[in-house]
Amino acid sequence: ILSKLPRKSSKSADNREHGGHHNAYYSSVSGGGSRSSDFGTGKSANLSVSSFAVSSPTTDVGWKSADLKQNGNHMLSSYEAMPAFKDVPASERQNLFVKKLNLCCVIFDFTDPTKNLKEKEIKRQTLLELVEYVTSANGKFSDVVLQEIVKMVSANLFRSFNPQPRENKVIEGVDLEEEEPSMDPAWPHLQIVYEFLLRFIASPETDAKLAKRYVDQPFILKLLDLFDSEDPREREYLKTILHRIYGKFMVHRPFIRKAINNIFFRFIFETEKHNGIAELLEILGSIINGFALPLKEEHKVFLVRALIPLHKPKCLAMYHQQLSYCITQFVEKDCKLADTVIRGLLKYWPITNSSKEVMFLNELEEVLEATQPPEFQRCMMPLFRQIARCLNSLHFQ
Amino acid sequence: MSTVEAPLYPIAVLIDELKNDDIQLRLNSIRRLSTIARALGEERTRSELIPFLSENNDDDDEVLLAMAEELGVFIPYVGGVEHAHVLLTPLEILCTVEETCVRDKAVESLCKIGSQMRDNDLIEWFTPLVKRLTAGEWFTARVSACGLFHIAYPSAPETLKTELRSIYGQLCQDDMPMVRRSAASNLWKFAGTVESAHLKADIMQMFEDLTQDDQDTVRLLAVEGCAALGKLLEAQDCAARILPVIVNFSQDKSWRVRYMVANQLYELCEAVGPEPIRTDLLPAYVRLLRDNEAEVRIAAAGKVTKFCQILSPELAIQHILPCVKELSLDSSQHVRAALASVVMGMAPVLGKDATIEQLLPIFLSLLKDEFPDVRLNIISKLDQVNQVIGIDLLSQSLLPAIVELAEDRHWRVRLAIIEYIPLLANQLGVGFFDDKLGGLCMQWLQDKVYSIRDAAANNLKRLAEEFGPDWAMQHIIPQVLEIANDSHYLHRMTLLRAISLLGPVLGSEITCSKLLPVVVNASKDRVPNIKFNVAKVLQSLISVVDQSVVEKTIRPCLVELSEDPDVDVRYFAVQGLQSIDQVTMSS
Repeated sequence: ILSKLPRKSSKSADNREHGGHHNAYYSSVSGGGSRSSDFGTGKSANLSVSSFAVSSPTTDVGWKSADLKQNGNHMLSSYEAMPAFKDVPASERQNLFVKKLNLCCVIFDFTDPTKNLKEKEIKRQTLLELVEYVTSANGKFSDVVLQEIVKMVSANLFRSFNPQPRENKVIEGVDLEEEEPSMDPAWPHLQIVYEFLLRFIASPETDAKLAKRYVDQPFILKLLDLFDSEDPREREYLKTILHRIYGKFMVHRPFIRKAINNIFFRFIFETEKHNGIAELLEILGSIINGFALPLKEEHKVFLVRALIPLHKPKCLAMYHQQLSYCITQFVEKDCKLADTVIRGLLKYWPITNSSKEVMFLNELEEVLEATQPPEFQRCMMPLFRQIARCLNSLHFQ
Repeated sequence: MSTVEAPLYPIAVLIDELKNDDIQLRLNSIRRLSTIARALGEERTRSELIPFLSENNDDDDEVLLAMAEELGVFIPYVGGVEHAHVLLTPLEILCTVEETCVRDKAVESLCKIGSQMRDNDLIEWFTPLVKRLTAGEWFTARVSACGLFHIAYPSAPETLKTELRSIYGQLCQDDMPMVRRSAASNLWKFAGTVESAHLKADIMQMFEDLTQDDQDTVRLLAVEGCAALGKLLEAQDCAARILPVIVNFSQDKSWRVRYMVANQLYELCEAVGPEPIRTDLLPAYVRLLRDNEAEVRIAAAGKVTKFCQILSPELAIQHILPCVKELSLDSSQHVRAALASVVMGMAPVLGKDATIEQLLPIFLSLLKDEFPDVRLNIISKLDQVNQVIGIDLLSQSLLPAIVELAEDRHWRVRLAIIEYIPLLANQLGVGFFDDKLGGLCMQWLQDKVYSIRDAAANNLKRLAEEFGPDWAMQHIIPQVLEIANDSHYLHRMTLLRAISLLGPVLGSEITCSKLLPVVVNASKDRVPNIKFNVAKVLQSLISVVDQSVVEKTIRPCLVELSEDPDVDVRYFAVQGLQSIDQVTMSS
């Protein structure tokens, strides 16, 4: 069926007949995270190489777009299941593994539930086999294998989210938290890829020193972008995976912290809209828990510049629990920070939003439990003034 | 600033309140900063007030915002342009605060001041400020700095210019995406001040770097400034360097980027020559019109007329028209609505024959669309079609569409169609109107929703203005006046409203002979709401009729109402009597 689909010689990556951003011919692979992989998908052979061409030697490691096009076509016209791992001799298994990975690089369109049912099922089975393989692997993953794994994961996961259909945007402001989150129809495949990635990162056969060339900064950046997904299952996976990456790839830790900071800044100062703040804060909670004393200056700056301002946005309720935990962790680590924290809370104290005020009061209570007398002395005055205002408030019970 | 009614604050009080604990008082003082400055005089403003403001930067964001705004117009109060530089200090500090709107306002004010400063002062004071901000440790300062380059650059000497360009280049590669985003959105502004040679070299390099940034959001902003940047270049440079970027982005994986391109595409056409349009931009646009993502199609559809205006009619017919046909049958109603709001504009572009042959079927199908917004959008732009082919071909389908909209379930739809009635009346002429639409207009006066009744009354007024008092006498007045006997008091109230609007339009004679009797009659209504509305209407009609009529008819009626048992009726009656007296006194 697939070979009958019109082959546009133009560079159109988005064709009405194909589904959204998943284009079977030009699967946008960012193998190892090419920074320019987000545009200019699917270079056909006759495209003049301008300075914006995707394939620069260092990034698309060993994979040429022309090959993929042929491979892709070849794959689709004969998209068939491969033998199971147990059916081939041990020496062949790694090769088979790579072939299966390549098979799974083809992205299917799930917006039409009747298309390619057979192929989708084959891919699903193959993905499950891959998960099985990676879980029970014996022997370190080689360089080639690492590269192919990252390539397959990138092809499947890194996508831009569809906009909310306009029907959902009612004029009479619908409470954002009550809206039905739109689930990606491709979840049946996505879920297994996430499972695969998680097992891969956690696997003892994944050598951090080798893998860091492929699980690199652009890859992590794209992973972080996915935190804005509306699907809580996806965010749950991302949270666990990122946490594992943080634990395993020590060299990436400063970068991850900085990138999360940037997400927070954009959220606080520019958009006030992000679905994954709670998950990110959960990760940070355990990171903060593991901070060594005395606290580094960088961490204190993070507290003052990012965590405390996170109290400002309207949708605080969505992540307050996790934020509160992070804050109290800080104070428990270094009690001298209590003064800073309390003053910060007072600065952002809500004026008209009473439900937010209740959250602040709860947090204040927890912080005060960890506060020592000297710090308390310093912030007593403005603190009591604010409490007085609360007692006089119309909403006081 | 202070109006006549506001109390004149003693200056001393204002100054004291600058330091008051209560934020409202501080805010009040800040808003009257110019008053304080005038009282202090220029010398003391410079030496005392401005330094005081510079130190007071740890205040509430609301106060800081007001301060930033006030300082932007403060040049006269510090003694004119030669002293403008003292204002830079407090504004520099405000550029670094956390709160975004304060920073934005501070940058805006700095630009206002800087554009008035003399060249020497700019070099001595403004440019060092910019450099200090770019070296700021915290990203807020650097973000603000990006918005100031276009002011500092023009007056700088050669070496300084080179330095400024290089600094901007560094900002484009700053560590923090926030700064890069600011650099991207301000790039075209900055580019507008740069000389052509450096534009081609340095600025284009910055642009290209930004379009390849790691972060989606930065690339998006770079694309947004594409067209503005393109217009600064010569056509062949634009075609060589910007065009490929745009065409590439039009196929980007991310729908937001494609959306941005759809918005920018036709503007870029103005910057490049006709050849590149045909070979590159046109195919790119057609792809976007057929994009997978509805949002992109909506953006592209909204530009279809503008795009056609740039193309030759043959190209438009050959390439764009097929897409337009597809879009008119698009599954998303928002796409169809976006198309409907612009497609009429294609008629002048394509000419009469093509319009009748190709566009008319599209208009008609959109006119029958199930989604009211689509139909409304078509009706709102009828005049564009009228110019080309006249309305007759449409009028047969037009009426059923209008009637359906007029009776739509959603009152906002009904409201919208009422707004267009005067326009339609203008286009379709009296005859068509009388037959078909007159009845609807009366019907609306008795709609369940207040806004509709009110709009209907307004509508009658506009129609009377359009077609003249004689027509109104014949076609509107009889039916309207019958409502006086309606049993529902809200309808009777609507009648009064209509009369108050029609009176001034129809003139004194008709008002006296037809309208006034009805109003006076209504003053004997048993519902108080009617009665005090009568008082209000009478008051408004005083200026329409002769003095004699006022004394003979209006005053007695009002006097009677002023003795009504209901307190509101008495109140409004007395108001009416008072205004008669004012008029009498002033004449």
